[in-house]
Amino acid sequence: MTAKDIIKIALNLVVIYVIGGLILAAVYAKTSPIMYRNAEEQKKQALKELIPDADKIEKLGDWSIHEKHAEYFIARKGEDTIGYIVQSYGKGYSSYINTLIAVDKDFKVQKINILGHAETPGLGDEIEADSFKGQFKNKDLDHLKVLKTDTTEYVQAISGATISSRAVTEDAVKNGVKFLMEKVKEGGSESGAAKHG
Amino acid sequence: MAQQSTVSYWELIKNGIIAENTIFKLALSLCPSIAVTNNLRNGVLMGVAVLFVQTMVNATISVMRKVIHPRIRLPIFMLVISGWVTIVDMSMAAFAPDAYKQMGLYIQLIVAFASILARAEMFASKNKIAPSMVDGIGMGLGFLFALTVISFFRELLGKGSLWGMPIVNTKPLLIMILPAGGFFAVGILMALFNWIDTRFLKKSTSGAH
Repeated sequence: MTAKDIIKIALNLVVIYVIGGLILAAVYAKTSPIMYRNAEEQKKQALKELIPDADKIEKLGDWSIHEKHAEYFIARKGEDTIGYIVQSYGKGYSSYINTLIAVDKDFKVQKINILGHAETPGLGDEIEADSFKGQFKNKDLDHLKVLKTDTTEYVQAISGATISSRAVTEDAVKNGVKFLMEKVKEGGSESGAAKHG
Repeated sequence: MAQQSTVSYWELIKNGIIAENTIFKLALSLCPSIAVTNNLRNGVLMGVAVLFVQTMVNATISVMRKVIHPRIRLPIFMLVISGWVTIVDMSMAAFAPDAYKQMGLYIQLIVAFASILARAEMFASKNKIAPSMVDGIGMGLGFLFALTVISFFRELLGKGSLWGMPIVNTKPLLIMILPAGGFFAVGILMALFNWIDTRFLKKSTSGAH
């Protein structure tokens, strides 16, 4: 390989990589604001769906579970606090399950939503099914327990996915609600909200 | 292999779907064919994404084939492939967020697909732009076809549903949606495809290499 060849190859690479980089930068500049807006929109939508009665959902603060960053929110209707939403993670079979939990002001679970996970398709991913998520309605801290038998008082495990069911119920939801109770009782909900407005 | 201009575009497309079907004949890109085919929706979306990337990569390589120094063609092919994949990835995230939520993980995997690099090297770097694009469409359609068939059977047998809609109320063969079932499905369908090909479509085997 002669010096001429080397220069030719280097030039060839530089030109093509620079052009490639420029094209990607242009596409990124065009799409990133839209992506950001989509993500914000989705988050707002997800929060709204959890407490449809609320006319205002505000962020109260941040916390962390399993060394992951999570947020919690307060839901208001007019001047009244009607509930809270907390984001939480549960350690599942093959992933951390990202969960949103809505509670009323007595800390009874109203609704949960699974934001993300990588559990076994066909088995663990049934935690997303309404038949599983629906079981959480009106459960308080003491009833967040997974049983393998038929139950309405507690949460019934998905057959073949006990670990994923436990992760959602006894890890994500339970710890989320527990954290929320401690936080709200110690800080007082109103002052906390004002700070973060 | 089809390199003469006398070969019609229709032949090129047929070549991609039957004689050189990426999965059933060339046995390339087998890992996505197992990873994403546990439901029909993912299989089809992945096939469409590959069809698009394959066509655009073939076109780009074909346009650039005269200026690429042969010694560095592979890094440049990789740049073109990853460039197009990133463009698809970002555009989908921006304009089709719902589909992206399902597919996002898999889109980025296309970068490492042997089939796309193979077509760039074997076909697009030696042919004009029009036949290269047609070849890309043919190979992409072949891939889409294979993924659709595999995911159809896997979802139907493993989950008892199709495209997320329940067909039967049980899970007849749960193993089909687990990774092990992917190997079964690919193996059995590959055998079936080749049997049909040699038994009924004998002519097309002459095109394989």
